[in-house]
Amino acid sequence: MIDPSEFITFLEKKFQYICGVPCSYFKEFLAHLASHGTETQLKHVYATREDEAIGIASGVAFSGKKALVYMQNSGIGNIGDALTSLAQLYKLPMLILISYRGLEPDNDFPEHSIMGEVNEPVLKAFKVPYWNLSEDRWTIEMKAAIQKMTETSSPVVLLVKKGVLCQ
Amino acid sequence: MMKGYEIISALSNHLSENDIIVSSNGNISREAYNLLPKPQVYLRGSMGLPIPVGLGLALANPNKRITVITGDGNFLMGLGSATTAAFYKPKNLKILILDNLKYYTTGGQKTVSSVIDYVKFLESLCIEYKCSKRASQDEIEQDLSEFINSEVFSVLHLTIKEGKKDLMNIPDQPEEITEKMILRLTKLA
Repeated sequence: MIDPSEFITFLEKKFQYICGVPCSYFKEFLAHLASHGTETQLKHVYATREDEAIGIASGVAFSGKKALVYMQNSGIGNIGDALTSLAQLYKLPMLILISYRGLEPDNDFPEHSIMGEVNEPVLKAFKVPYWNLSEDRWTIEMKAAIQKMTETSSPVVLLVKKGVLCQ
Repeated sequence: MMKGYEIISALSNHLSENDIIVSSNGNISREAYNLLPKPQVYLRGSMGLPIPVGLGLALANPNKRITVITGDGNFLMGLGSATTAAFYKPKNLKILILDNLKYYTTGGQKTVSSVIDYVKFLESLCIEYKCSKRASQDEIEQDLSEFINSEVFSVLHLTIKEGKKDLMNIPDQPEEITEKMILRLTKLA
């Protein structure tokens, strides 16, 4: 697991806001953020839906500031219009962390199996550039994603597998 | 009862340099573009998201006053965002709901807005300034003034009559709308 404290220290240099809908894959990261909320520069906004989180991040981006968005990959099904008719269309940069559920057959969680299969094709179809976030190379992957986000002034995605931001 | 564009037109009397408008897709954005000072955030799509966009702007710009103008169809699609906005209740965020009980831009199909008692609904969110009434010519200036100048997170729900003006489409490309807003919000005051 990436050390949550190091991860947040890295994020707060690039982003002023963080907003999203949780996934258990972000458990330790979000727990650390909640318990150290007063020390961090990142202002946390809870969203009711994933598209709402993209909307809030868009309002931040209209102000020339940056927000990080987080969600489970089930939320990809909810953000199509928020991406195509708002964040991408208006060229609003934001970094979206998406948990990669349903990667392997998992009989306990069949609700993730189809999205697990179509996750990457859907992101490709939406023309959203994405990277995988790994425990070993996370700073390099984050920097590549943030560079693309800045160059294109558009949303980019980091896919987060089990164990990267949770135990 | 007043029409939506008459209310948006009346709103211009209450705006200063310090005001940012977020207008929702369809007729409302077109009316805001043509009838209010420019530039503002004119949303073209993203049905259901004007309140989150306004919330993001309000949190990121505590010294600006952000007013979201939304129709009933759009408001209902993003109803969860009413709760998010009420949870954070930024005092510089104002939400104006223009309710004709219809998806008017797409041809006047019915919405389900008539089932809501807006006074009770807004009461349940513990919003300090809320008002729900029929929009009338005699009272609109005072209603808008109280709503926009209240020092708390405010919601004004106005029942309106359908009707639109022949107005030009927004000529700015979405990217230009963003560029103009960032310039407006990041320039040294």
